[in-house]
Amino acid sequence: MNLTLKIWRQENARAKGRFETYKVENISPDCSFLEMLDILNEQLVDKLSHPVCFDNDCREGICGMCGLYINGRPHGPDDGVTTCQLHMRRFKDGDTIVIEPWRARPFPIIRDLVVDRTAFDKIIQEGGYVSVTTGGVPDGNAIPIPKKNADEAMDAAACIGCGACVAACKNASAMLFVSAKVSQLALLPQGKPEAARRVQAMVAKMDELGFGNCTNTYACEAECPKQIKRSNIARMNREFMCAKVCSEE
Amino acid sequence: MSLVKLASITKKITIAAVGAFLLLFLPMHMGLNLCILREDGGEWYRNVCHFMGTNWIVKIFEVILILSVLVHVVVAILLTIENRKARPVRYAVPSKTKTHAGSKFMIYTGGVVFAFLIIHFINFYFVKFGIVVEDDSDTYTVEVEDLQMHLNEKVALIQEEMMSGKISQEAAQEQMMALQLEYMPFLQVLQTGQPSEKISKDGEELINLTKEELVQFAGEDFKEYEPDFYTMCNKLFAQPMYSIIYLLALVILGIHLFHAINSIFQTFGLNHKKYNKAIEYLAGAYAVIVPLGFAIVPLFVMFCK
Repeated sequence: MNLTLKIWRQENARAKGRFETYKVENISPDCSFLEMLDILNEQLVDKLSHPVCFDNDCREGICGMCGLYINGRPHGPDDGVTTCQLHMRRFKDGDTIVIEPWRARPFPIIRDLVVDRTAFDKIIQEGGYVSVTTGGVPDGNAIPIPKKNADEAMDAAACIGCGACVAACKNASAMLFVSAKVSQLALLPQGKPEAARRVQAMVAKMDELGFGNCTNTYACEAECPKQIKRSNIARMNREFMCAKVCSEE
Repeated sequence: MSLVKLASITKKITIAAVGAFLLLFLPMHMGLNLCILREDGGEWYRNVCHFMGTNWIVKIFEVILILSVLVHVVVAILLTIENRKARPVRYAVPSKTKTHAGSKFMIYTGGVVFAFLIIHFINFYFVKFGIVVEDDSDTYTVEVEDLQMHLNEKVALIQEEMMSGKISQEAAQEQMMALQLEYMPFLQVLQTGQPSEKISKDGEELINLTKEELVQFAGEDFKEYEPDFYTMCNKLFAQPMYSIIYLLALVILGIHLFHAINSIFQTFGLNHKKYNKAIEYLAGAYAVIVPLGFAIVPLFVMFCK
């Protein structure tokens, strides 16, 4: 496959960025998207120019490090996969592919396609955990949890924090990310005691960091590689209202 | 970095709650409008307009309603500004993600609806306060014949009461004097034809009357005179341009409402696979039926009258 790539290049957070056009040739359709970028970078290094920076780690869709905005969609044209799981067979020979970094004020660009997602960590630090020391591994079924709740909590816990929801949202809202963590813990008995404090603190932090407001467009749900559902956002709204009305915290 | 020190979810709940209240108002307004379809020369419609214009409970709701619209608009603008600020650098390629129908254009569809609301207020609502009056210019016209009949009826009533002995002869005379005094300007203008600018050339109409002059010439009974919404409505919708704007605004309103109703449930945390489908259908039905109900009136006036 021969492809034309238009890639966003930016020296650092302050520098002015621009699109650079590159040609790559003889790309195998079985290549992953990141491998294709590796091939491009080999060529660039050979020519003694700077390789294109992009985030990646596990390359099997579980770490949440990779994330590119490809032709108008976070993680590219496939549903429910991360960029590393996207393969070149999804494109046609001769295609032009435009690659941009996540665009959101709370995600400043570090270099080229790499963005700083520390904002997510800061939100988690506000309460995305259970504070009691749990000791050793408890016996199975020592705490009775309905299967349905366990499943829903597990689905919410599948969030890898890649930031595709923020990148996809027209308002750069982090509601899906925050709601996944809030839901996961609100559904389980271990998370219940701190639920009211948690949801208020995490929402406050999310607002403070400059994420936008949810307008129920559900682009987040459509682009989430782990297919986190928007029902989590509804649950967070519920939790938030209950906390404001019932809780003293 | 919120512009107002309220949590994002609080702002969303506010806009949703106010929107839900506005949703209750629309079917009622539609019902009132549809009274115009009855073939009774506008009797029902005028009665409805009279009730809406005078009842004090309605007046309280009127204030709440206007405040609700303002809160809805202000919060919407605030949210939009915050949302724009959250992405200072836009993407070069426009988003290709599938999103909920109408959801990306809420501020625009809302803006169109608000602009239409202003036109609507100028045409209908402000008329009540006499700011804009039903005639071409800010004046009233009264048929001399109608007014004379009105006066004769009042004289006949006094005579009848005197004959039946309900009131004494002196009292009747006193009432007649008061009546003559009240209608003096009218009688004078009939006899002398002066002031000439207030009477039409054929002498059949009093013209160019302001609200004060209407009371002065046509008597105290016209103090509570209400503009004739029935005639006004028919006149406005007979203009194709006005009807087309009205119908277009309704289409946009429908798009706004479809996402709005779905959104209200989601914002209030009502998302459950048991009733999610029902919410979609409810939103679809409401977004079609209500604008359609409003659309019947201009279509009826344009094509059936």
